[in-house]
Amino acid sequence: MIELNGVRKAYKVGDELLMVLHGIDLRIEEGEFVSIMGPSGSGKSTLMHIIGCLDTPSAGEYRLRGTSVGGLSARDLAVLRNRTIGFVFQNFHLLPRITAVRNVELPLLYAGVSRAQRRSRALELLARVGMADRAQHLPTALSGGQKQRVAIARALANDPALILADEPTGALDQRTGLEIIELLRELHSAGRTIVVITHDPTVAAAADRTIYIVDGHIQREEVRRG
Amino acid sequence: MNAWEMVSMALISLRTNKLRSFLTMLGILIGVASIIAIVAIGNGGKAAVLGAIASGSAQNTIQIVPRELVAPGLPQPGQVLAIDESDLAIAASFSGVQQVNYTLYGTAVVGSGNRSDNASIEAGPANLNELTRLQITRGHMFSQADVIGHRDVAVLSQSLANKLFGSGNPIGGLVTVSGVPLQVIGVAVSQQASLFSLFMGSDALYMPATTCQDLFPNWSISEMDVQAAPGTNLQNLAQRIVTALNIHAGDATAFADSSGLASSVGALLSKVTTILTLVIGAIAGIALLVGGVGVMNIMLVSVTERTQEIGIRISLGATRTAILFQFLVESATITAIGGLAGVVIGSLIGLGIRMATGIPASVPWPIAVLSFLFSAVIGVVCGLYPANKAARLNPIEALRYE
Ligand SMILES: Nc1ncnc2c1ncn2[C@@H]1O[C@H](COP(=O)(O)OP(=O)(O)OP(=O)(O)O)[C@@H](O)[C@H]1O
Ligand SMILES: [Mg+2]
Repeated sequence: MIELNGVRKAYKVGDELLMVLHGIDLRIEEGEFVSIMGPSGSGKSTLMHIIGCLDTPSAGEYRLRGTSVGGLSARDLAVLRNRTIGFVFQNFHLLPRITAVRNVELPLLYAGVSRAQRRSRALELLARVGMADRAQHLPTALSGGQKQRVAIARALANDPALILADEPTGALDQRTGLEIIELLRELHSAGRTIVVITHDPTVAAAADRTIYIVDGHIQREEVRRG
Repeated sequence: MNAWEMVSMALISLRTNKLRSFLTMLGILIGVASIIAIVAIGNGGKAAVLGAIASGSAQNTIQIVPRELVAPGLPQPGQVLAIDESDLAIAASFSGVQQVNYTLYGTAVVGSGNRSDNASIEAGPANLNELTRLQITRGHMFSQADVIGHRDVAVLSQSLANKLFGSGNPIGGLVTVSGVPLQVIGVAVSQQASLFSLFMGSDALYMPATTCQDLFPNWSISEMDVQAAPGTNLQNLAQRIVTALNIHAGDATAFADSSGLASSVGALLSKVTTILTLVIGAIAGIALLVGGVGVMNIMLVSVTERTQEIGIRISLGATRTAILFQFLVESATITAIGGLAGVVIGSLIGLGIRMATGIPASVPWPIAVLSFLFSAVIGVVCGLYPANKAARLNPIEALRYE
């Protein structure tokens, strides 16, 4: 599913180049549940942005389902983000001025799905994450855990093969966080590839495999299942 | 995503910031409303002037005046020429001429009982009301028989009737002009009043030309009204008559076709109206430009405020084109709604003016449609830069933006 070979990422800060990722080699198979841990500033989010096609490596190669992402046009990348990848963020990133169901409809909108189909699919997804009764609520009227459920429903809209979650439980209390992880596990058992970045060892332990990143290098990995 | 969905998305977004959207719209609204109102008034004014001139000269009638008369009714001090019987006979001899009438103008004291008033006297044929655009409001106009019979009858202007008879009924009453009693048979309102009464005063008495000549034997004929057969080429006939009259007078510039004079005055007036419309229109255009700059400014603010939203949309698979269109449609929606409201309000202003002044103000529909489309185009043009800025945002930085 995911294959990184010698991926480097450098940011220009003023006149200097700040090297954030120093040659990452990583394979994640179809249907795996992987967690990524590491200290703050080690480059986890940067890695996830590259995997999620929001950013491109400064050097090295990234292949997603066998296709080298470096050669794709901006439009192709947008289609990849839309159809193949679903993002879940620490701060939920719901659009604040539109209802939960409209938030879930957004990826369907960009996929060109008709209005009626969008609505029924979005309601179905909200029901699946236990938020059917909050479809018409604005995000401001939802608790953190509820927001994250809506965000997960949105990530699932186009039935993507890959779910990328950057500290999905970071803004939630322990119990709510575990509910979210349980939800991710269910998605995993349904066959999706899941990558979760976390600082929480119990969250990390839910994954088949944990990758530890320190200062832009993969330090070690720990395999539990699979 | 079809066009309608994009517009409805834009509407949702505009609704979340109602006051701001309204204020942004206002600039465009005012610009378009003033353009529409100005066009309506300009059009109406032109139509009023042309209408006055067209119906001022009755159908198939040529009006000929001595050259020195700048306009009928305004004798010049140095005037040497007047129309006499032989001139009338010359005009009558042309084929295609059905009848030759004449009018006299002057002023006299008109009395009734112990009241009196200085009024302008207009004397002419039985169709004088058509020639000078009179509308008989009470009684009737004097007839051909009255003219032939030198009868002592008169039609009063409304204001003169009011001065002499107050609220009483003037019809059948007597007025004295130059010591001779005339019977009042009608009251008339001049429809040229708005245009000419400023100079002429609106107290007027109308009587048969023959009666007037009896009362004032030394008044000269100031205008010849040649009635032509239907279908005659009036311009050509007028030219031939004027030439013949000039030869008879031994002066190549003795007479002029004043129906032509009237229409050239009309042309001048309509040119002035056009220039005024253009000037005020340009000012309204500047207002619209300022409105457009306001839209651009607000769209830039909106793009900055919604940086994170843009980042989120990109992460969900929005293409740059989709983001670009989102903001373009939003900006065009603001200005199109503003333009539509402007067209409606401008038309209402035109309607108000029409009802208040009687100027037939109207907006031709292509102008209304054009103004609407133009305001939408302003939205697109002014939205282009902000929308492009939004579409070029780096998704990661946008996502991080607080
Ligand atoms: N756009 C950027 N420009 C410059 N430096 C950046 C940029 N984005 C990230 N960095 C730097 O890259 C490093 C890694 O950032 P990243 O967000 O990947 O860390 P992280 O592992 O996700 O940390 P955390 O656990 O706190 O989320 C940090 O030092 C950060 O300052
Ligand atoms: Mg991070």
